[in-house]
Amino acid sequence: MIDLLNTYSRQIRLVLIIVGAALGLALFFGMPVILVQSGIRLATPFILGSLAALVATRAGVLNLAIDGKMLLGAFIAVAVLYKTGFDPLVGVLAATLAGGILGLIFAVLYLRIKINLVILALAVNLFVANATVFFMRAIFGVFGTLADPSINSLPTIALPIIKDIPLLAERLSGYNIVVYLSWAMVFVIWLILFRTRFGRHIRAVGENREAAETVGINVFQVQVFALTLSGMLAGLAGSFLSIGVLSQFVENMTAGRGWTAITVSLFAFEQPVAAFFTSLFFGLSEAVSFYLQSQPGVTVPPDLLLAIPQIATLSALVLVALRIRAAELLKRRNFAAQFGRELANLRQGVVVGD
Amino acid sequence: MINLRRILENAAIPILATILGLMVSSIFVIMARTDPIPTYQRLFCEGFGPRGCQSFGDLILFTPQTEDGSSTTYFAPLYGEGGHPLSIVLERGTVLILAALAATIAFQAGMFSIGMDGQLVLGAITVAFLGYWIPDQIYALAGVTDPATAPAGLLTVMHLVVPLICIAAAMLVGAFYSWIAGYLKVKLNVNELISTIILNAIAVQLVSFLVNNPMRSDTNTTARTRRIDDTAWLIPFNRSILQDVDWFSGSRAGIGIILALLAAILISLYLWRTAAGYEQRMARGSRLFARFGGIPSERAALRAMLISGALSGLAGAIQILGVERRVVADFASGGMGFDGVMVAILARESIAGIILVAFFFAGLDQGAINLQFGNLPRQLGGIIIAFIILFSSMEDFFRRLIARLRPKAGQAKVAGTS
Repeated sequence: MIDLLNTYSRQIRLVLIIVGAALGLALFFGMPVILVQSGIRLATPFILGSLAALVATRAGVLNLAIDGKMLLGAFIAVAVLYKTGFDPLVGVLAATLAGGILGLIFAVLYLRIKINLVILALAVNLFVANATVFFMRAIFGVFGTLADPSINSLPTIALPIIKDIPLLAERLSGYNIVVYLSWAMVFVIWLILFRTRFGRHIRAVGENREAAETVGINVFQVQVFALTLSGMLAGLAGSFLSIGVLSQFVENMTAGRGWTAITVSLFAFEQPVAAFFTSLFFGLSEAVSFYLQSQPGVTVPPDLLLAIPQIATLSALVLVALRIRAAELLKRRNFAAQFGRELANLRQGVVVGD
Repeated sequence: MINLRRILENAAIPILATILGLMVSSIFVIMARTDPIPTYQRLFCEGFGPRGCQSFGDLILFTPQTEDGSSTTYFAPLYGEGGHPLSIVLERGTVLILAALAATIAFQAGMFSIGMDGQLVLGAITVAFLGYWIPDQIYALAGVTDPATAPAGLLTVMHLVVPLICIAAAMLVGAFYSWIAGYLKVKLNVNELISTIILNAIAVQLVSFLVNNPMRSDTNTTARTRRIDDTAWLIPFNRSILQDVDWFSGSRAGIGIILALLAAILISLYLWRTAAGYEQRMARGSRLFARFGGIPSERAALRAMLISGALSGLAGAIQILGVERRVVADFASGGMGFDGVMVAILARESIAGIILVAFFFAGLDQGAINLQFGNLPRQLGGIIIAFIILFSSMEDFFRRLIARLRPKAGQAKVAGTS
C-alpha cells in the first residue's frame, strides 16, 4: 500500500483530479437546477468559513473560533437592520466588521495575553452563543427568532453576460452579492497568499515561526492581520446565513457550520481553490439531504447523508497521514541504503582498532 | 506536610477569575437594565441556597419565615424544606464530573482530545437502546407478556444486572470511539484535536439519525426514543432509599453521583499512585524523553484514550439511565461533552478541582435557568462561565502584572537567594 502510494503518487493525483472534474461537470449539468442552486447557496458559508480557517492556519494559528465569529456576524447583520430600514448591504458590512473586531480581540488575547489557543476558542464560541441569545431576549425581547418585516434580505443579481448563456444562466446567475463575493474572495485570498510579499510572510510564519522571526518578519503583525482577516471572512459568512436567504436570526443558527468549515479547510490542505471545490461538495451533500427530505417515498435518511462529508474528511486525513508516512519511509529507506553503502566502504577501507 | 502556600496559590487564580468574571458579566446585566447585585443574589440563591433564600447571607445561615413568628436559624446547605437546589446541583454535576475526568485523563497523557461529546452521545444512545431491548428479550424468554405481572424475583435480578450490562456496553462504545482518535494519532500522527472534532460531528449526526428514524418511538413532535424499561432505570434517591428526606425532593440525583465521585478517586489513584499512571503523565512531557526513560509512550497514550472514552461513555449512560430515561432529538447537539472539557480546563486538571468546578458550573447554570429577575435570560450563566474561563486562563498575564506592580519585591527575592 505504502509502496504503491510512493511509486504512483503523481499518477494517482492526476487520475483523482480528472475523475473529480468529470464527476463535478456531470453533476453540475446533470442534476436538477434547483439542487445545483441550493447546493451553491449552502456552500457559500462553507467557502467563506473555510477561507477564514485556512488564512489563520496558514499564519500558524489553528482558529477554532470560526463558529463563534460566524454566529456573531449572523446576529449583527440582523441586529443592525432591525427596525432601522437600512439597506441590507449595511448589515453585511457591519457583520464583516464585527467579525473582524472579534478576530482582532482574539488575536490580542492569544498573542499578547497568551491564553491557550484552544481554551480561548472554546470560550469565545461559548460567549458568542450565549451573548447573542442574551441580547436577543434582553434587548429585543424576542424568543427563538429575531425577524422583522423591515429587514430585507439581499437582492439577487443577474450576472451580465452569463445570464444570456442558456445552460449556465440558471445555474451560475441569480444569486445575491455575498455568493459572488465568496467566489471572488477565493481568488483574492489565493492572490494574497501566493502572489504578494505579505502572503509569503504569512506562509513563512505558519511554516516556521522562529525562522520567520530570524529573517526579520514581524510575526505579531502578520498573525494579527491574518486573524483579523479570518474574523472578517467568518463574519461575512455569518451575514449570509442570516440575511442571505431568510432575513432572520435564529438562536444558534450556525448549527456547527463553523466547525465544518474548519474540516473543509483541512480537507483542502489549506489551498483556497481546493477549499472552494470541497465547500461545493459539502454544500451539495447538504442540499441533497434537504432535497430528499422534501421528496415523498425516499428511504435514504437525511442525517446520514450529512455525515458523509465528515466521514470523507476523516478518510482524507488518514490518507494524507499515510502519504506523509510513506514519504518518510521512502526517505528513511534511501538514507539507510546510502548510509549502508558508505558504511561498507568504511569497513573495507579503514581498519578499526589495531 | 501540606504545602499551604501552594494550595493558596492554586486556589487564588480560580477565585480571582470568578470574581472578575462576575464583575465583567455585570456589564451585561446592566445593559439589560437590571441591577447586578440583587441579580447575583438571586442567581446564587436559586443555584445554591435553600428554598426561600433572599440574600447572600442566606446561603450560609438561613432563618425561614414561619407563620407563627418563631424563628430558628439553620445551617443553609442542610435546610431541606421543599427540596434543596444543591440536590439538583448534584444531579447536573454528575455528567460534568465524568466528562471532565475523561478530558483530564486524556490531557494528562498529552492527548488534546475534545472527543468527549461524541463518545458521550454514543454511550447515551447505546444505553437508550439496550435499556429497553435487553428487558424485552428477557421478558420474551421468560414468557412474561406484561412486565407488571412478572415475578418479583425476576425483576430484582434484572434490576441488578441490566443497568450493569448497559453501563458496560456504553463504556465499551465510548472507549472504542476514543480509541479511533488515539490510534490515528499514535500510528499515523493525525492531530487528535482535529480528528476528535470530526468524530464528534459524525457521532452527533449518527445519533440524530437513530433518534429520528429507526429508534423513534412515537409521533411526538420532537423525536424521541422509547423510554427505557423500569428494570434498567437507576432509580433516583428521592424515589428509593432517601424517599423521606426532603432535601432530595425535586432532584434526580442518584447512584450516578456516587459512581462519579468513585471514578474521581480511582482516577486520581491511578494517575498518581500507579506505574501506568506515571507512564502516562511522562508520555505527556516529551515523547522522546519518555522513550529514553524506557516508557512505552504510545501504549500509555492509547490507554489514556481508552479510559477517557470509557468515562465519557459512562457519563452518557448515567445521564440516560439515571436522569432522562430516553434520548430526545436535541440531546445530541446539547454539547454536554464540551461542558466537561471546560470544567477540566478550569480545574487545571486537578481531580478535587474538577469536582468543585463541576458543582459550581452546575449551580450557576441551574441558578440562571430559575432566574426570574427583571428580563434576564438564562444565557447569563453561559456568559459568566465564558468570562470565568477566559480570566482563569490568563494566569501568566496576572503573574506578569503582579511582578510589574511589585518590582522591588521581585528584586529583593533575587538578592536574597543569591
